[in-house]
Amino acid sequence: MVVDSQLMSFFTAGSLVVIGIFAALFLDNLIKKIIGLAFLADGVNLFIITMGYKPGGIVYIFLPDMVVSNFAQTASYPLPFALVLTNIVIGASTLAVILGLVIILNKRHGSLSASKILRDKGE
Amino acid sequence: MIEYILMITTVLGAIIALMQRDLLKAAILTGIPGISIAFLFQFLLAPDVALTQAIVGSAIVPVFIALTVLKTRRTEEKSK
Amino acid sequence: MNANALIAVMVILPIASALFLNLLHKKDRTIKILAIITAIVIPIIPLLTPYGSHFFGGYVPLAQNATLAQGLPSLITGTQLFQFHPGVMYVFTSAQQLMVFVLGLITFFAIFTFLNETKRPSGVYAFLMFMGTASVSAILLSDDIFNIFVFFEIAALAQVGIIVASGIKNNYETALKYILLGNIAGPLLLLGIVILLGVTGNVNVTDMIFTFKQGYVDPNSPVILMALALIAFGWLYASGLPPFHTIKSAVYSKALPHGAALLQAFSVFTLVAIGIIILRLFSYNPFTNIAIIGISVIAMILGITMAIVQTDYKRILGYLAVGELGYIGIGLGLGTAFGITAGLFQAVNEAIITSFLFIGFGTVLYKTRTSNTRKLGGMMYVNPKVALLVLLAGLAMAGVPPLNAFQSKLMLIQAAIQSGLPELGIIMILLSIVTFMTFMKAFYTIYMRPKPKELEILDNKIPRSTVISLVALLIICIILGLFPQIATNSLQTLAAGLV
Repeated sequence: MVVDSQLMSFFTAGSLVVIGIFAALFLDNLIKKIIGLAFLADGVNLFIITMGYKPGGIVYIFLPDMVVSNFAQTASYPLPFALVLTNIVIGASTLAVILGLVIILNKRHGSLSASKILRDKGE
Repeated sequence: MIEYILMITTVLGAIIALMQRDLLKAAILTGIPGISIAFLFQFLLAPDVALTQAIVGSAIVPVFIALTVLKTRRTEEKSK
Repeated sequence: MNANALIAVMVILPIASALFLNLLHKKDRTIKILAIITAIVIPIIPLLTPYGSHFFGGYVPLAQNATLAQGLPSLITGTQLFQFHPGVMYVFTSAQQLMVFVLGLITFFAIFTFLNETKRPSGVYAFLMFMGTASVSAILLSDDIFNIFVFFEIAALAQVGIIVASGIKNNYETALKYILLGNIAGPLLLLGIVILLGVTGNVNVTDMIFTFKQGYVDPNSPVILMALALIAFGWLYASGLPPFHTIKSAVYSKALPHGAALLQAFSVFTLVAIGIIILRLFSYNPFTNIAIIGISVIAMILGITMAIVQTDYKRILGYLAVGELGYIGIGLGLGTAFGITAGLFQAVNEAIITSFLFIGFGTVLYKTRTSNTRKLGGMMYVNPKVALLVLLAGLAMAGVPPLNAFQSKLMLIQAAIQSGLPELGIIMILLSIVTFMTFMKAFYTIYMRPKPKELEILDNKIPRSTVISLVALLIICIILGLFPQIATNSLQTLAAGLV
């Protein structure tokens, strides 16, 4: 049975997004939530890359010995890849900020449990 | 064929990482989906993104999380 | 020459200044001078900039680039490739001019009060404020939806930074909650954007609309509806409409008053900017307008009714600010040119009035170091002038003539009646009254009832700069209230283009 690898890649991305959202919403531990958020970002990145992929195509880097028309027809679509590069960096930096906040909050509450830390005391 | 294996390791790695009780293990296991996705990017014709993802996803993110775990607490509390 | 460099300066100058301020540590005088100069220059730039569009890197559409277009094969010149925008494009019209100007003005007042109320102004805090201003200006100007996403994330980080820097009790918890939600909303917004990219092959809004209009893409396909839902989710998060109204009002209450003034301006203008994008992209679908109106009505009702029961005046103001966002949303959702003009005008007024209120009530925090209304009282005798200014701000928010929100709320009600939805007008009037009641209750407990014995009033004098800012904001309110044409004339073109 031949399965389309692009389709399977979309499913992988989708399951990563679902796992990520599930972990971020329903797991109590803050570190687990953060890992979930990292998976969510990874899943979205994988989704974007899969969208730019062209089955049987070539890498979108134009080398001097290539023919323009041939390149234009076979190369994968480069715009999504540029977006992913930006998104990876954004994801890593926000992750660092969140982890810093978690370290401070753990010092204050002595706990990593979201239900203990993030309770709204109505102030 | 290899891409299907990578996809399966991605999803399984994500689930296994989230199932750990030991947070340090969970942090290190975060690297498995990270590196699998990097290889998948290479397969999906995005070598430059794959390079970035290989560094960020398999080294920086797990190390950041592991450092946080070392600075806070190692095991997950029992939720009520 | 199509590239208008001053448009880019509006975003680049605050970023450059912010990065520079971040480097200066413990050099208080330099920080003060640099911050105040930047804060003065930011609102001036949009006034000097001619209308037009800026193409980053000079990548104009091929149709406008005569040198490149020469000798291209008909494969390109004959198709739509010729028209598409290859680079990031910023559009600057009269509406953007007004909104970037007002945002710059609020930044100026926030920075001005911050520098004078804080003994040792930190460069990092000014860095965060300028970074937020830069990113929200970029969101207002940009025509490139991915660029909007990038600045959406930067704005979220800057807002988190402003909360963390405030030092108010429990601010870290709120900051963590806000950024966790942001890290769910951000990727989902991106997912919506890339679905549109995948369907249309573009991230430029103008080009996307072109592909929709030309029928290259079926605009009613479920994939595009999904993209709409995902983008709308990010929009709700960034602007603090329900289900994010609780966290947003907490965010306002955990920031220092000048920070909160700026934060609400960020949410108001992000709401307007992304709302306009949503309207431009999806207004062919009647469901969009219904959804916007529905969510706005919920925001108004929830925000204003939840404000009644709060005991922290910053929380009250936060909920009222969220409730007022609903008015803007209704204006946008009505979908008529008049309604959208009214909504945009209400956005401008709301940004001004709410920062007026936050800075005004900030003097109470400055004098007493508490924000709990149960512990407060008798502030009228401490400083009657500021009390009067705060009262006027509250009247402005409730929509009392001749202040500015009266004009915009009147326009909104007229627009609602014109569109055949007089019920919305009645809801808006009722909620205006409730807003006024809530405000007067807070005002009475803080200012007019006898001073509780335990309340200590600090000896520090309210800085003159704060009073100057308040008077200046009041003057702007009165000017816009007496001559609403100043604002509505510049907003009309944009609104007419959306219908």
